[in-house]
Amino acid sequence: MTRLRWPRWSTLLVGLLAAVWMYPVAWTLTNAVRSTADIYRAPWDVTWPPAIGNIGEAWSRGQLGTALMNSTLVTAMTVALVLVLSVTAAYALTRLRPPGRAVLFMLVLAPLIIPTEVLIVPLFSMYRTLGLINSLPGLALVNAVANVSFATVILAASFRTIPQDLIDAARVDGAGRIGILLRIVVPLARPGVVAVAVLVAVFTWNDFGGALVLIQDPDAFTVQLALTRFATFYATDQGLTFAGLAIVILPPLLLFVALQRSFIRGLTAGVVRR
Amino acid sequence: MASLRRSRRDGAIDLVFLAPTLALLVGLLAYPVASGIALSLHSARGFELTDYVGLDNYARAILGDAVFHRSLVNTVVFTAAAVTLQIGIGLVLATLVAGVRRGGTLLLLAFSTPFVLATVAVGAVWKFLYAPYFGLAPTIGSALGLDLSTVAPLADTETALWAILAAFVWRFAGFTMVVYLAGIQGLSRDYYDYAVVEGGGWWQGLRHITWPLLWPQTFALVMLGTIGALRVFDMMWIMTAGGPSHATETVATYVYSTAFRFLDVGYAQAMAMLLLLVILLLTAIEYRIMSRRAEVVSS
Repeated sequence: MTRLRWPRWSTLLVGLLAAVWMYPVAWTLTNAVRSTADIYRAPWDVTWPPAIGNIGEAWSRGQLGTALMNSTLVTAMTVALVLVLSVTAAYALTRLRPPGRAVLFMLVLAPLIIPTEVLIVPLFSMYRTLGLINSLPGLALVNAVANVSFATVILAASFRTIPQDLIDAARVDGAGRIGILLRIVVPLARPGVVAVAVLVAVFTWNDFGGALVLIQDPDAFTVQLALTRFATFYATDQGLTFAGLAIVILPPLLLFVALQRSFIRGLTAGVVRR
Repeated sequence: MASLRRSRRDGAIDLVFLAPTLALLVGLLAYPVASGIALSLHSARGFELTDYVGLDNYARAILGDAVFHRSLVNTVVFTAAAVTLQIGIGLVLATLVAGVRRGGTLLLLAFSTPFVLATVAVGAVWKFLYAPYFGLAPTIGSALGLDLSTVAPLADTETALWAILAAFVWRFAGFTMVVYLAGIQGLSRDYYDYAVVEGGGWWQGLRHITWPLLWPQTFALVMLGTIGALRVFDMMWIMTAGGPSHATETVATYVYSTAFRFLDVGYAQAMAMLLLLVILLLTAIEYRIMSRRAEVVSS
């Protein structure tokens, strides 16, 4: 006897539903290697042989090389920054006893209810004064604020599962706070750390609003901004647009499929504290 | 031998570990909130503050701006519909996927993939699906012998918001499903065995076992979904830019165009602060209602 065993037809139904669900994704990838004329003639077909040339043309005309480099830099900086911040914050909040710990936890969660969209005007104004418009590290800082709260929540949940005995034993052996953090807590919480890294990487790669406001120089465009260039300049060139979309969605897609366990563990740990 | 009593110095050292995060939050959250409040109380030329105008910007938004009213209604309606659908669809999908004999992982991947796609990509693809002449409806129509070639949901003020909602829910229902599925897999089988013994079908199982036992998940997902939908900007900006005639205008898109297209930044920030107020108010109400229910469930 297992939980809520469904009749066989329901397996078929959910399989069909999954196929429908995935259809827009599969369709984006197949249209990426079709000529624009083909797409307009028969939007839902598959063409053989594939028009591989689309990819190269989208790459050069959309200046995707530069954009991919910029996005990779912003993503790497954001992930590194968020990891340092959330590992130390979660450690202090779960394994140390700073004064006012409960209040501090609430403060770290504040970005969850004060989204970037609400602060975009003062942020732009501040960045303009500081000369940080078009700065990739500047964009990484804004992304770090947007991600640091849930990262800390996930890591706090992960750090809480570490037996206190291990930490006490290390302390008796003379390990200090940093020693315990680096040699015991982080290694034992590695799945949580990986989950945070993957989630932050995907969210940062996909960020649009922050980049739209804070990046204006085409040389500093992230991939998301570069995609809007297709909509503006090549609006009627659907083959090119789909090729661009495919190039940009592929890195997070591959990361997700390769690390889906970490990814899903992170999502669930971030939502419900156990 | 370390003393058992912790000194004040120990607490201060513990605090140092939080310092980098707190510094970032002061610089890029607290300061922008403070300067945002100041901005909303001034008129401005470009991004330079000029005169102090008190609450004039707020009064203008609340009393006199029909577009702001429209954007607020759109935002709240969109949020209510999005949260309801994400919860409903996510829960049903989770129970379906939990019940299959084989291929659960594959199904999980299929439903949650849209969540990792960029909004820009999702928006562009769905825009094509909704296009007249070669979109989805015209194609299906011609297969069935109907002329649906001019059906264009995004161009119609009656349907545009709902069309974007479908794309939005498609993107996020997989996330709710993942959370619910983990919850279901964490429940003891005994509950369901008991339900089967009692002669309950899947609906009874869902209603009397899954739903109440997964209340913590629902609680968190409703709060996250509410904030995620109230702030919605990118989906609208990419698919319709708020049009046609403000049918898909949300507070966030209106703030953006007021600030960066019409350069009316004091007024834009007043509306942004009102959005923040709506977010705080609605989540506080949800928190009160849902945490009261949580006590009932756990007792």
